[in-house]
Amino acid sequence: MRVSTPHMGNIFIPFKAIFKKLGVEFIMPPTNTQRTLSLGARYSPEGLCIPFKMTLGNLIEAADKGADTLLIPGGDGICRLGYYGKVQEQVLHNLGYDTEVIQIGVSEQKFLGLMSIIRKVSGDAPWHRIISAIRFGLSKLASVDRVERVVQKVRPVELVKGTANQLYSHAISAIDKADDYDTLKRVEVDYINRLERVPRDEQAQPLIVGITGEFYVLLEPFSSFDIEQELGRLGVEVRRSTFVSEWTKFSFFLNPFGINEKNRIHKAARPYLKRDIGGDGWESVGEKVLHAKEYDGIVHLAPFTCMPEIIAQNIMPSTREKIPVLTILCDEQIAKAGVLTRLEAFVDLLIRKRRAHSGRPQGVAAQESGR
Amino acid sequence: MTTIGIPRALLYYQYYPMWKTFFEHLGAEVVTSGPTSRTTLAKGTARVVADTCLPVKVFVGHVLSLVDKCDYIFIPAIRSLKSRTYNCAKFLGLPDMTRAVVPESPPILEIEIDVNRGKRYLYQSVYGLGRHFSWNPLRVREAATAAMETLISYRGLMSESRLTPLQTIDDITGIPRRKPDEPSIAPATPSATIAVIGHAYLLYDEHVNYELIQRLEQYGARVLTPEMLTEHEREAAVARLVGRAYWTYEEDVVGAGGHYLRNEVDGVIGIMAFGCGPDSLMMEILRREAGNQQTTAFMCITLEEHTSETGVITRLEAFLDMIHRRKRRRVALCV
Repeated sequence: MRVSTPHMGNIFIPFKAIFKKLGVEFIMPPTNTQRTLSLGARYSPEGLCIPFKMTLGNLIEAADKGADTLLIPGGDGICRLGYYGKVQEQVLHNLGYDTEVIQIGVSEQKFLGLMSIIRKVSGDAPWHRIISAIRFGLSKLASVDRVERVVQKVRPVELVKGTANQLYSHAISAIDKADDYDTLKRVEVDYINRLERVPRDEQAQPLIVGITGEFYVLLEPFSSFDIEQELGRLGVEVRRSTFVSEWTKFSFFLNPFGINEKNRIHKAARPYLKRDIGGDGWESVGEKVLHAKEYDGIVHLAPFTCMPEIIAQNIMPSTREKIPVLTILCDEQIAKAGVLTRLEAFVDLLIRKRRAHSGRPQGVAAQESGR
Repeated sequence: MTTIGIPRALLYYQYYPMWKTFFEHLGAEVVTSGPTSRTTLAKGTARVVADTCLPVKVFVGHVLSLVDKCDYIFIPAIRSLKSRTYNCAKFLGLPDMTRAVVPESPPILEIEIDVNRGKRYLYQSVYGLGRHFSWNPLRVREAATAAMETLISYRGLMSESRLTPLQTIDDITGIPRRKPDEPSIAPATPSATIAVIGHAYLLYDEHVNYELIQRLEQYGARVLTPEMLTEHEREAAVARLVGRAYWTYEEDVVGAGGHYLRNEVDGVIGIMAFGCGPDSLMMEILRREAGNQQTTAFMCITLEEHTSETGVITRLEAFLDMIHRRKRRRVALCV
């Protein structure tokens, strides 16, 4: 059996690790490129969102590489995502691929559902091996996310632009290669130390911009034009509360017991939006309200035609907590140059705002002369 | 007496008789906004972000036209009507979104309908809504039962007498049909039978769809709509095409479309709004089904505020021409 699953940021790392431990062949779809998006867009209904198009592109490319079992995300009670599987399966069949499609119900099956799917794919491997494989996969995921958090801090203040990005991509491949817990721990500590030692501008007081919005475009840099890297290049420190490892920890393990890290965000959103509207709309409103005092600005990312985010976008301007918000809609028609221009203008606006408020322009001036 | 405003948009077409009965039993007066016009749409569009879908823009326009005419505006948030089905985010966020974009609106009466959370929650929601008018649970219960009966007879009327919601609402509320002589324009033997499917708020809002149904009737076609089918027929088609329904109103689109593609009609026209999340996927299911069957013609018209009337007419005429040619060829083959 040759298993594959679509890309979403670094999610391939735990999947690859899990299937390697269980001795199942894992076909990694080619890295996301314009070809992936074009393929996906060609065979998708036009009105669909970019996550559908990108994942369909991944599935087609994976099937071309010989995958015969495709794991795709789905599940009840979220947005369109729950319906993806039904259509993607038909598209693949009409294209002539004879593949089996398995939906992972991310919202209702929880950890047991994931385990039983992995058990099925691995040809009934014993439970203890499945559990230890998943545990190892999840710890890899956690390592990646810990490194990424450090990268977000270093990027805006490094003296030689691009150092952190380079170290990050080395770290990803090293973590991907690590085969046991010792190596994994060593690699993680090693790269975090190297990142901490990157020469940096000690005077800089970078702007702080929160990134919020829809899950997929937040986590898949290709679909959102590497927005975090670009903000880092502009000297902005990025804060993002959505990480895959956090999400799995809570939605698979703790949420069934009623513990949810998002409660704080939901509570903040409640005066403006009373209920979960599917997707991440509730969280987007909540993050704006919650971080209005802490951050300089917020970048709100959403796929074009995303239903929950449109509601969030409509509600956001009316909150009493004021903070500049830049909404960027991602789809296959947008050019990166246009997004960069908007980002630069937004950052300029934030710099001017901070200068007007503080009257202490030193950090900002240093940034401006650096550019 | 308290006046409740009900915007003539979105779920109005499915539930207006029920809501009216409920509020009137509790001693309130119900007012609705007038039919959609160009100003309604323009006013609504100005309030929301550009990516919002056409029906929601229309809805906001209707709310704006009710602002000074009532004490409360009734906006439900409908999440699910059957277990394990879900609705579009726009319906769930509707009360909160309206509050955000129409700050001058009168207080909003909202109710959350979510069958997934059990009967108790449903009863509590209904009582919570009724409590604005009466503290007495029995009176609320009585109103809710009467409302439910109205809904059942409303649906029965539509599927038995093959009426559209607009005609039925006129009948129920005692208004003489606006165009009583209209059907006689159509010839006694229709030239073709066309099913028009989609959400009720697109099919019956004559401003939004450029009077598509009347136009088809003027061309001599007999028009069938999703409401003219029984619930059982629609559910059977959903089960055949996608297994289990995922969306709350999946029966209106996949169910009705799937049924008509196999039965009694010459062509099916699907109507969807640009950027509609559920429809973008459901219409694709129907398009693929029509392609696999190759017996019934299928066309999907996407509506938005920039759609031009002439464009829609041209496509309708071309579609009907194609159906007539098909029919002639079939007759010629038989001879």
